[in-house]
Amino acid sequence: MLKTGPYLRSSLTIEQVMVDVLIALIPALIAGVIFFGRQALWIVFLSTLTAILTGAVLLRAPFNLRGILGDGSAAVTGLLLGLILPSTAAWWVPVVGSFLAISLIKLAFGGLGYNIFNPALGARAILLLAFTSQLVKFAVPFDTITAATPLLSSRTFSWPLLWGNVGGSIGETSVIAILLGGFYLLYKGHINWRIPIGYVGSAFVLALLWGLDPWFTITTGGLLFAAVFMATDMVTSPVTFGGQLVFGVGCGILTIFIRQYTSFPEGVTFAVLIMNALAPLIESVTIPIPFGVGLARETRLKGIAAAGAALLVAVGALVWIDNTQPALTPILSHGQHLPIADWLGTSDFESLDFEGSRFYVTWNEEEKPAKAVYLAEQGGFNGPIRFLLVLDQEQNITDLRILDHREDPGLGELITKPEFLDQFVGKNKHNELALGEDIEAVSGATISSRSFTTGVKRALENFELAFFPQEEILEWADGTYFGSADSFGGKLEVEVSVSEGVIASVLVTGHSDTPGISDGAFEKIPERIVALGASKVDAVSGATVSSEAIMKAVQNALEKAGTPLSEGVMAYSIPPDGTYRGQGTGFGGELSLEAVVKEGRLAEIVIVESSETPAIADGALDQLLPAIIEAQGPVDAVSGATKTSGAVLEALDDALVKEEGQ
Amino acid sequence: MIGRTFPRGGGEIPHRKEATENKSIVVFGAPPEVVIPLKQHIGACCEPAVAVGDHVKMGQPIGEARQFVCTPVHASVSGEVIAVEERPLPDGGKSPAVVIKNDGNDQLYKEYKPRDYEEMSPEEIRRAVKEAGIVGMGGAGFPTHIKLDPPTVIDTVLINGAECEPYLTCDHRLMLERAPEMVEGLLAMIKASGAETGIICIEANKLDAVEVVRQAISGHDNLSVEVLQVRYPQGAEKQLIKAVLNREVPSGCLPCETCCIVQNVHTAIAVSEALKGKPSFERVVTVSGGAVLDPRNVLVRIGTPIEDLFNFCGGLIGEPAAIVAGGPMTGPPVAELGGPVIKCSSGFLALRENEVGFDQNRPCLRCSRCVEVCPMGLTPNLLGELSSKGYYRKAEQLGLLDCIECGLCSYTCPSKRSLVTWIKDGKAGLAKEKAS
Repeated sequence: MLKTGPYLRSSLTIEQVMVDVLIALIPALIAGVIFFGRQALWIVFLSTLTAILTGAVLLRAPFNLRGILGDGSAAVTGLLLGLILPSTAAWWVPVVGSFLAISLIKLAFGGLGYNIFNPALGARAILLLAFTSQLVKFAVPFDTITAATPLLSSRTFSWPLLWGNVGGSIGETSVIAILLGGFYLLYKGHINWRIPIGYVGSAFVLALLWGLDPWFTITTGGLLFAAVFMATDMVTSPVTFGGQLVFGVGCGILTIFIRQYTSFPEGVTFAVLIMNALAPLIESVTIPIPFGVGLARETRLKGIAAAGAALLVAVGALVWIDNTQPALTPILSHGQHLPIADWLGTSDFESLDFEGSRFYVTWNEEEKPAKAVYLAEQGGFNGPIRFLLVLDQEQNITDLRILDHREDPGLGELITKPEFLDQFVGKNKHNELALGEDIEAVSGATISSRSFTTGVKRALENFELAFFPQEEILEWADGTYFGSADSFGGKLEVEVSVSEGVIASVLVTGHSDTPGISDGAFEKIPERIVALGASKVDAVSGATVSSEAIMKAVQNALEKAGTPLSEGVMAYSIPPDGTYRGQGTGFGGELSLEAVVKEGRLAEIVIVESSETPAIADGALDQLLPAIIEAQGPVDAVSGATKTSGAVLEALDDALVKEEGQ
Repeated sequence: MIGRTFPRGGGEIPHRKEATENKSIVVFGAPPEVVIPLKQHIGACCEPAVAVGDHVKMGQPIGEARQFVCTPVHASVSGEVIAVEERPLPDGGKSPAVVIKNDGNDQLYKEYKPRDYEEMSPEEIRRAVKEAGIVGMGGAGFPTHIKLDPPTVIDTVLINGAECEPYLTCDHRLMLERAPEMVEGLLAMIKASGAETGIICIEANKLDAVEVVRQAISGHDNLSVEVLQVRYPQGAEKQLIKAVLNREVPSGCLPCETCCIVQNVHTAIAVSEALKGKPSFERVVTVSGGAVLDPRNVLVRIGTPIEDLFNFCGGLIGEPAAIVAGGPMTGPPVAELGGPVIKCSSGFLALRENEVGFDQNRPCLRCSRCVEVCPMGLTPNLLGELSSKGYYRKAEQLGLLDCIECGLCSYTCPSKRSLVTWIKDGKAGLAKEKAS
C-alpha cells in the first residue's frame, strides 16, 4: 500500500501542543507558589503525578519515561486540576481528583479527544460536591490562615487582584500570570481569541448590566483562568468559529448566572461543564457556510441581526426580571436575594464588613445603628450554620433567619422551625440565652440548638464590639513616651503623656503624610484617643492609613509605659473532675483533644489528633497550651497560627461545654 | 505581505524550490522507447489510430478523440509501434497505451508553419488547440478547447502562475524563459474565448518572473500582471479567482460561472505552439526532492518512463521515502517507476525520509486547525470522520463535494490524520452510493 499525500506535514505534534500548554501554565504555577507557599507546590505535584500514573497504568503504558508520560495530556490535566484547587486542601484531594479526572472523565469516555467534559473541571466538580469543605477554604497569601475567596468578602476590584496577592485556588489568582500563559498559547496558535474574549467579554457586559464591578467580576473566582485554560480546551469546545464564540459567550453568561442565583460563588466550574455538554450541539448549528455556497450577504446579515436581537431580548428580559424586585441585595452566602430593605424599612442603608461578618445598617442621629441586619455564621453539628439577625436600635432581636446549614434532616434541621427561632425574638445582649432557661432546645437536636444559641450570643457580642466598642480604661505608669509607626508618607512620630495612669495628651511630632488629606486624622485621632483613654479608636474616613498609623504609634509609645493592667479574661466554667474530649476545625482539618480536669482546675490538654502542618502548629501549641492552663480560660491566638489556635479553643469549648449539656 | 490573496483559510507551507528555481530548463532528448497512454486527460479515452508494426512520425496523431470531452494524443518520437496495450499510469491506474520504439530520427509528421492568431477566427484557434491535443498542464488535464468554448460570456482569462506547490518550479522557469510565447498563447485564448482582458497571476516569491512577464506584455493594454501573496493554496482555481477578481465560484460550478477561465502557464505556451501546428507531445517537468542527485527542470517527451527521467537527473540516492507525481501537497504517489510522463505531469519528486511526513491517525484533538486553514470554509475533521465511517450523505450536507483536496488540513493536523484521503474516499463512496 502506497502512502498517500500530502507528503508534507507540519512539525506540530500532540506532544508539542501539550508541552506548550504546560509551559503556558508555568507563570500561574509560579505565582501560586509565591503566594501560597510550598503547600501549593505539593498539591500541584500530587495532582500531576497522580494524573500521569493513572493514565500510564490504565493505558498499560510501557514502563519507561516516554511511555509513562505518554502524549503529555495526562500531565496537562493533572497540572490544571492542581492549579484550581486551594493550597489548603488535604493531600488526598488532588490524588482523588486526578484519579477521577483521568479514569472516569477522560479514559472512560474513550481517552484523549473523546472525552465530553474537561477532565480537570469535571474532577473539580466532583470534589466540590463530595468534599465541599476541602475546596472552599482558601489560604490568604503569605500566611497560614484561611479566608473566604474574594467573591465572598469584598466585591470590588483592587490591584492585588491583578498580581494575585489574594485568597483563591493556587493558579487562579494572578491575572498577570494567567495572561502571560494565555498570550503564549495565542502566539503558538493553540488557542484563539474567540473563546476567551467571548467568555470574559460577556461576563464583563453582564456584570455591568447587573450593577456588579465588572473588573472585579472578571478577575476573580477563577474566571480568567477558566477563560484562558479551561474553556479553550480543544477537545471539549466546538471546532467551528461561530461555535467557539457562542461557547465563550455561553460560559460567561452561565458563570454570572450561577454566581448570582446559586450557592456556588465562583460559578466557573459548572458553567464550563454545562457548555462542554452543549458543545456538540453548538457545533452542529454553527457549521460554517462553505466557500461559494454564499447565502446572499443580506441573508447572512439578517441571521446575525436576528441572533443579536434574540440575545439582547433575553438579556434584557433577565435584567428586567432582576430589576422588578427593587432594592434586592445579593447575598454572597447563599446566592439568595434577601429583602434587606424590607427589614430595614428603607433602601438607604449601608453595608459594612467587620471581622468577616457583614452588616447592613441604617444610622440614627448619634451615628449608631438604628436598625441592622447582621449575617453571621456558627459551627453546627455537621458544618457551618449561616443565619441573619435583624436588630433594632436597642439591639433587640426583631427577626432572625437561618440561611443555610448542614444539620441532619429531621433532627438538627428542626432548629429552622419558627417554634425554636421565635424564642430569640425580643432578646438582646443582656439576656443570658442559657439553654433550658431562656431558650428551649429542640429535643433530639441539643447540639444544633446549643450551637445556634451560642452563635446568636456571639453575634450579639460581636455586634456590640463592632458598633459600641467598650471603653477600656487602662493604666500606665505616668510619664511622657515616644512612639513611631509607618504611615502613608513614611515614619510618623508621636509623643504621649500619661498622668494619673491615663492618657493625658497625644501629640503628633513628625510625619510626612500628604497635607490636606491626612489633616483630619491628625486633628481627630489624638482627641479621640485621649477621650477614650485607649489607643484603638475609630479611624477618620478618608485618612484611614494616617489614622491607623497614629494609633499604632501611640500603641508603640504605650508599650514603653508598661503592660496595661487589663482585666483578666473570662475563665472557663470548669466541669467536675474527669477527662473531656472535644473537636475543632483547624488549618488542615479536624483537630481533637482531651482536656483533663483535676481538683476543679483545667490541669492538662492533650492533642489527640491533628492534621495541622507540624512545623507551624507544634511551636504554636507549645506556647498556647501552657498559656490556656495558666489562664484557665481562652487566650489570644498565637500569631502565625491563628487557625490552629482557633481550632484548639474551639475544641476546648466543645470539650468543656458539651459535657455540661449532654 | 505584498499582493492580493483569498480571504478564507490558507496557510504557509515550506517552498523548497531552491533546488531548481535558478536552473535553466534542460532538454532530455528522447528515450529509446516511449509509452503514450491514450487517456492523459479528464474525459473519455482516445481510440488508437495506429496498429502494431506501423511506423509513426513525431507529432503524428496516434489516438483519435471521438467523444466530446476528449482530446487526441500524438507520437512524441518517430519510430515503430511495438505494442498497443494496457499500461500502468504513474498514479497506479491503467490506460490503453501506444508503445513506440524510437528510431532516433525525430522525423516530423508535419512541418511547423507560424500563423498569426489575429488572422484566425476563435473557431480556428479552438480547432488548432483541439488538434494539438492540449489539456490543462497544471495537473488537472481538462481538455483546453472545451474550456475555451464555455457556455457563458467570458470577460477575463487568468494565467495561473502561482505555482504554490512546494518543489515545483517548471512554470516559474517557463515564465522566465518563454514569456513571449506565453503571452501569445494568452492573447490567442482571449480571442478564442471571447474575453476582453488577460491577467497573469504570479506569487510574490517569483518577482523575477513578474519582471520578465511585465516586459513581455508591454504594448498590450488588455493584459496585466497581478502579484499574489505567497499563501497556499493560492494556485487553486477558485482561490485564484477570488483573490484576483474577488468573484466567488458558486459551489458545484465551474469558474466560467464567474465569467472567467483559468489557464496554466504551460498550457498558454502549448497553445502558442499549437498555432504553428506543433502538437502537445513534450513538456517541462520539475524533477526534484532530496533523493534526486541533480534536481532540474527538464523538457521531456510525453511517454518517457519516469525511471529514465530520474536517471537523467543523476539517479536516486538510496531508497526514497516517497515518489510523487506533481506537487507534494496534492500529487498522487507514483505507483510504477516504469510509468510514463503524461501531459499533465508537472513534476516528479523523490523525497527522503527527513523531508516527508505521513498519516499517523492519532486521535483528533478537535484543535480546529483544519477548520482554520480550510480555504473552502469546511470542517475537514468532521468530513473526514463522517467519510471514514461511511456517512457519505451526512458528509455531503457538510460540503464534502466542495473540498478541493488541497491537503492543507492534513498538513496542519497535529494528530497527522489522513483527512484528505478520507475525504477523497468519501467522494468516491458518495458517487457509488448515488449511482446505485
